[in-house]
Amino acid sequence: MSENLRKLSGRKGLDNNLFEQLVNSSKAEGTPTDEKLKDLAWEYLMGNANTYGAGSFYDFLKKENKGKKAYVCNGSACLVADTQEKVTETLAKNFSKDEIGEMCCMGRCHENSAFNVRGRNYSGMAINNLKKILSSEVSGLEKYNVAANVSNPVLTGTPLNAESFKALFVKADAMGVKNILNEIDNANVRGRGGAGFSMGFKWESCRITESDQKFIVCNADEGDPGAYSDRYLLEVQPYSVLFGIMMAGLVVGADRGVVYLRAEYSEAINITQLAIDELTRIGMNGTNIGGTGFDFTFKIIEGAGAYVCGEETALLSSIEGQRPEVRVRPPYPTQEGLFGKPTIVNNVETLATVPWILENGGEAYANFGTQKSTGTKLVCLDSFFNKPGMYEIEMGTPLSTIVEEFGGGFKSEVKALHIGGPLGGIIPTHKISDLELDFESFQKQGFLLGHASVVSIPKEFSMVKYIEHLFEFTAVESCGKCFPCSIGSVRGKEMFANAQQGEPINQELLDDLLETMEIGSLCALGGGLPLGVKNALQYFKEEIIK
Amino acid sequence: MNNEQSKIAYINNEPFKVQGDETILHFLKRYMGDNPVPTLCDAPNLKPFGSCRVCSVEVALEQDGLTKVQASCHTPVMADSFIYTHTHKIEKLRKNIVELVLTDYPADKFETDNPNTNELKKVALDLNITPDDVRYAPGANHLNRSVDEDHSYMRSDLAACINCYRCIRACDEVQGEMVLTMAGRGFENTVIMGMNEGFKNSDCVSCGACSQACPTGAITDVFNSKTNEVVETTRTICTYCGVGCNLDVAVKDNEVISITAPYDAEVNQGHTCLKGRYAFKFYNHPERLRSPLIKRNGKFKEVSWEEVYDFIVDKLTTIKSENGPDAIAGISSARCTNEENYLMQKFIRAVVGTNNIDGCARVCHSPTALGMQRAFGTGAATNSIIDLNYTNCMLVIGANPTAAHPVTGAKLKQAAMKGTTLIVVDPRETVLARYADYHLQLRPGTNVALLNMMLYYIIKENVQDDDFIDNRTEGFEDFKSQILALDMDKMAEITGVDKDLVRNAAVAYAKAKNAMSFHGLGVTEHSQGTFTVQLIADLALITGNIGRRGVGVNPLRGQNNVQGSADMGVQPHQGAGYLDITQEEVQNIYTDFYKVEMPKEVGYKIPEMFDAALEGKLKALWIIGEDVVQTDPNTTKVKKALNSLDLFIVQELFMTETAMLADVVLPGASFLEKSGTFTNGERRVQRVNATVLPIEGTKVDGQIIIDVMNRMGYAQPAYNAKEMLEEISQIVPFFKGITWERLGTNGLQWPVAEDGSDTEIIHLEEFKRGKGKFSYFDWKETEEIIENGEKYPYIITTNRELEHYNCGAMTRRTGNVDIITEDVLLINAQDAADKNIKEGEMVCVTSARGKVDIKAKISKEVKPGVMSTTFHFPEIMVNLITSDVHDSEAKCPEYKVVAVNIRKSKGKFANA
Ligand SMILES: Cc1cc2nc3c(=O)[nH]c(=O)nc-3n(C[C@H](O)[C@H](O)[C@H](O)COP(=O)(O)O)c2cc1C
Ligand code: SF4
Ligand code: SF4
Ligand code: SF4
Ligand code: FES
Repeated sequence: MSENLRKLSGRKGLDNNLFEQLVNSSKAEGTPTDEKLKDLAWEYLMGNANTYGAGSFYDFLKKENKGKKAYVCNGSACLVADTQEKVTETLAKNFSKDEIGEMCCMGRCHENSAFNVRGRNYSGMAINNLKKILSSEVSGLEKYNVAANVSNPVLTGTPLNAESFKALFVKADAMGVKNILNEIDNANVRGRGGAGFSMGFKWESCRITESDQKFIVCNADEGDPGAYSDRYLLEVQPYSVLFGIMMAGLVVGADRGVVYLRAEYSEAINITQLAIDELTRIGMNGTNIGGTGFDFTFKIIEGAGAYVCGEETALLSSIEGQRPEVRVRPPYPTQEGLFGKPTIVNNVETLATVPWILENGGEAYANFGTQKSTGTKLVCLDSFFNKPGMYEIEMGTPLSTIVEEFGGGFKSEVKALHIGGPLGGIIPTHKISDLELDFESFQKQGFLLGHASVVSIPKEFSMVKYIEHLFEFTAVESCGKCFPCSIGSVRGKEMFANAQQGEPINQELLDDLLETMEIGSLCALGGGLPLGVKNALQYFKEEIIK
Repeated sequence: MNNEQSKIAYINNEPFKVQGDETILHFLKRYMGDNPVPTLCDAPNLKPFGSCRVCSVEVALEQDGLTKVQASCHTPVMADSFIYTHTHKIEKLRKNIVELVLTDYPADKFETDNPNTNELKKVALDLNITPDDVRYAPGANHLNRSVDEDHSYMRSDLAACINCYRCIRACDEVQGEMVLTMAGRGFENTVIMGMNEGFKNSDCVSCGACSQACPTGAITDVFNSKTNEVVETTRTICTYCGVGCNLDVAVKDNEVISITAPYDAEVNQGHTCLKGRYAFKFYNHPERLRSPLIKRNGKFKEVSWEEVYDFIVDKLTTIKSENGPDAIAGISSARCTNEENYLMQKFIRAVVGTNNIDGCARVCHSPTALGMQRAFGTGAATNSIIDLNYTNCMLVIGANPTAAHPVTGAKLKQAAMKGTTLIVVDPRETVLARYADYHLQLRPGTNVALLNMMLYYIIKENVQDDDFIDNRTEGFEDFKSQILALDMDKMAEITGVDKDLVRNAAVAYAKAKNAMSFHGLGVTEHSQGTFTVQLIADLALITGNIGRRGVGVNPLRGQNNVQGSADMGVQPHQGAGYLDITQEEVQNIYTDFYKVEMPKEVGYKIPEMFDAALEGKLKALWIIGEDVVQTDPNTTKVKKALNSLDLFIVQELFMTETAMLADVVLPGASFLEKSGTFTNGERRVQRVNATVLPIEGTKVDGQIIIDVMNRMGYAQPAYNAKEMLEEISQIVPFFKGITWERLGTNGLQWPVAEDGSDTEIIHLEEFKRGKGKFSYFDWKETEEIIENGEKYPYIITTNRELEHYNCGAMTRRTGNVDIITEDVLLINAQDAADKNIKEGEMVCVTSARGKVDIKAKISKEVKPGVMSTTFHFPEIMVNLITSDVHDSEAKCPEYKVVAVNIRKSKGKFANA
């Protein structure tokens, strides 16, 4: 992170945004031209190296992306489902090898066989109709179940629309900042992006930081393979998310709200943009919202393919057009965030709880769930379940209930569930009955709730290969800043690749590597990966150490 | 506050006091010494970054309680926490991290490098690990990266890069150039230059900050400054510009090997520009003069020192007895030490008996000294560069510090990038102008009109500081009525700057809590130079920006010791310490001190010396270290004047254009070979320490003067910096408390009181002259334009490049010459098109004095009608065309406005 770059980018800010320009300039050929990179560097008073270096970081900006026309998902869920070889083969009949790239998770984990052509995502049976897809303009249809185990769902109920958004805004405005904050506090919402940090506390600390300008950033970079709940919210409940962002703005005194939305979710980008346009039309976006004198303008910033951009400080650097390398904290974003100004970064699902809370009261929300983990949580089940889908589950619900009742059990034998994304824990099936869906229960048992995506590891899938995949994911997605993660992930990957070639794993060395990454890494990417590997070592040792 | 003071934390169970929000590493360093824990990505002048993680420590909330591992370099100390620095767990973590690093590090380099210069090796050995101990199977690595050897100074061998980002951060946080970045992601991250094009093709300015920052020598330079095995270094002061950077000079067998910048230097905090760091090879260049020379029958002949002294003494004595002392003059050098300048003026005054002594300040900052003396009473910067840390607004007038004062320029740019308001007044779009909030791009020669506009709007918008004006100034009412009588539309037309822009800039300056101004030769080298300086002073007075942190009027002094040479009395009207030599009591002081009768008449200024020579009144001239032929305006006239002298002595390092005209050439010594003091632009007197012996055949300049003094009958002890300083401190009032010992490593800022206390900010409570004086001046078109403007409708303004220094006698004899190889003419695309001139073509530039051919460089830096060029190379001799119009008051030449015409060259270089 460079303070200079952050401030220079801040001179043009969001309206003439550097990162947006980089992304837009890659649309034609898959990567910005050198001329364009130089022009941008000149315009933003930076070095040529800065735009060049930033561009080279992202999957969809770097030079290697030039000329790519189709992408195959290489995420965990599709990997274990073993669907991607066929997808690649089929695509190869229509595209040259150079035209086919990879994408990490399109949020189609519930039916797999995921791929992207011409900016649209397809999954399930779609690959069988590739010819038709290439000649039409329709998005790939998908199907997943949605249900809730509470009668008055927080996140999956009747979606808000522009008008009900407006009505709710009027109500909230009448409540006043203090009361809004009170309700949020009473609800005791903990962040759904993975860390479980209190939303009310974050808002309050941003509110009390003095500044001429503040920002709200919605983290819609949902990168965990296996997760598509944020995508659901943005596609089906976009007004709830936007409302949460606006309330954060009202409470802390920010006038800009950014949705940082991953490029892989093109449908979500379109739908959310339509919702923003609709809000603009009815006077709920821009200056003097609803005649109250409150100014608030939304903006979507489209990502460019980098998992680490989900990490909040990397995300802020990304918006600034810097290389999204993780920053040290403090300062925290609430003190010095986007362009150096106090900023709230909240996850989509966290923000989407706000309309319900303001309608039903914080206490009602807190009545759901457990003492420390209140409310409900969206859980994504992959295609190994008989009923794949996205379920709104009250915190504290036994995991077995989710697996059996909502998921309808497994289609074929599964030996473990990887819950909470690549940085989550690997839960052997026999431990399912010991867990309840809340932060504490998972932590106590040595796992992590995280964003609560569920990837099923089938019986026949080699644990060694799966761990190699996890290390590889980390190696590819590591921002490269800190030594333990950037080098360690590669060595881990090699260790497990060699193991498949018959090279026994040196357990002492592996333990050292895991500890080094876990306690030495700067952020939870390098720091989080060891958890799942350690779980695997504990529960599947005979498979790994021979 | 109480709470703050009593904040305590424990290091390995022992309690210590915590300072503010300091990091754990900072805290540990204060109590455990320099290297309490290993670090790799941390560096003294860089912000905490947190990439290597080997600085990790364990932190618990209670003694021997549950711990968390935290990187000490960026984690603040928590009150009452228990920090454990060397537990088994932590030592293992560090070792395991280094093991990972060694999986991708060249084993042979590890083997051969010296742990004192390779930080990775040092850390690894301390942790008891070597490449042989690596347990991982060989895997992906970057050991085959190619080396970059294309640049004249910078080198990279990134196989040895450990991705600590220090180089990248140095280029960004210290220099502010942002040439370096990582490219790629994760393990594939690779340091690149510019658009992945190597140092040479990138925008690298060769400051060497990255080289100094790199822990492994993966980025280095041709001198291997960081990694060569020299352990003996001598600290001294850079010879190039008035910033006064401290240098650590590494010497081996009496030869300078490399130069780095000390981190504890208050002036430059571990930074320099390429001149200070890399451009030292001139000192033992084969072309260094190595013997005194006497010209006989048009040819120089090597002679002994004895012979040359006899020759000089004989001639000077004859001229003095036949034509009187006033037929002799001296020009001293701002490149020389204070002691040497003092000696030269003492020689001219006390031994020869005339006040005909002047220095190069004449051609640069003489109007500053005069203008500021008139307004405040002291002709020196009111504040210090460190005040940049406290200012809210920077006004930069006629200065291009990123090129001419690079380390200060980098600081200004850093502040501007971080959001400090910046106003630039300059005809060119300089680097700083691009970062400015307001760039007032005026027509050359209209500074007075523009500053009057700013003053007008400050009064008109009622944003002046009435309290300050009432209490600390005089002459305001008159001044105000004259300013208010001006017609802003007319001024806008004269300057070519939109009046609203001027108003906004003026208001921004006036309203800033603290505003600082900086000015350079774009202010002084004009016919109204002194007036412009006085108007800059008016701006500070009217807004109350004097006498505290973060404010003031801060001239960017050109040469390394131009401040010092004036302080020492290298001026025809003031003796050592700025005492007016026409005053009887001053004459008495000097007479008492020098024990001889003092001359009473004001002597010649440099341009007057040339006139006097032409008129036959001046017979002998002794110049030390100034290439007046190449650098003074109107070359033809200067040459003619020098040729009409009976005795022309040039004391030099090289056979310059000027030396070639001399009767006697004396081989002096460079800054690396002598001791003394230099005074930088913020009045900081710093120790210059000889790093090597003078090259054989040469002598320390001060000793040469002393030798002649003695031979002319004035007893002066042999040159010794410490003793000279003692003499100076007895006569220069503001040096009173200065002693060699007291100067220490970071020097002292004058005035220095008897007890040794120095002064960062002057005019605190009252001005040296009592009240600050307002003065109004009408703008006047320069004679140059009035006389020649019609025939020569374009204006050329001269400037310098970062890579070269003045006449280039030194920098052209270093690797800098491969970076910038020639003088060029910057010309706007529109003017070029009008004259059918293409990029790189030769242009014939004519003025009323002469013509030169020079290569065109089409640039957005200049507006239509205005061109700009440098004067570093004798091939071009740009000063053939410059005018001899001078500042009306201080006689500084008007380099900045030359009326010219241009056409495509059909001359000898047409196809070059
Ligand atoms: C490698 C990494 C990836 C992350 N990805 C996401 C993400 O995709 N979405 C998200 O909301 N938070 C993600 N986070 C967590 C964010 O850093 C941050 O904690 C979160 O956005 C805060 O919002 P919340 O408090 O509402 O959960 C990630 C963290 C790490 C370390
Ligand atoms: S853990 Fe990985 S992703 Fe996180 S800062 Fe370190 S290198 Fe970057
Ligand atoms: S030498 Fe200076 S400008 Fe060049 S890359 Fe290094 S730090 Fe940057
Ligand atoms: S070149 Fe040197 S300073 Fe730069 S990242 Fe590599 S090891 Fe660090
Ligand atoms: S769509 Fe392939 S892993 Fe999610």
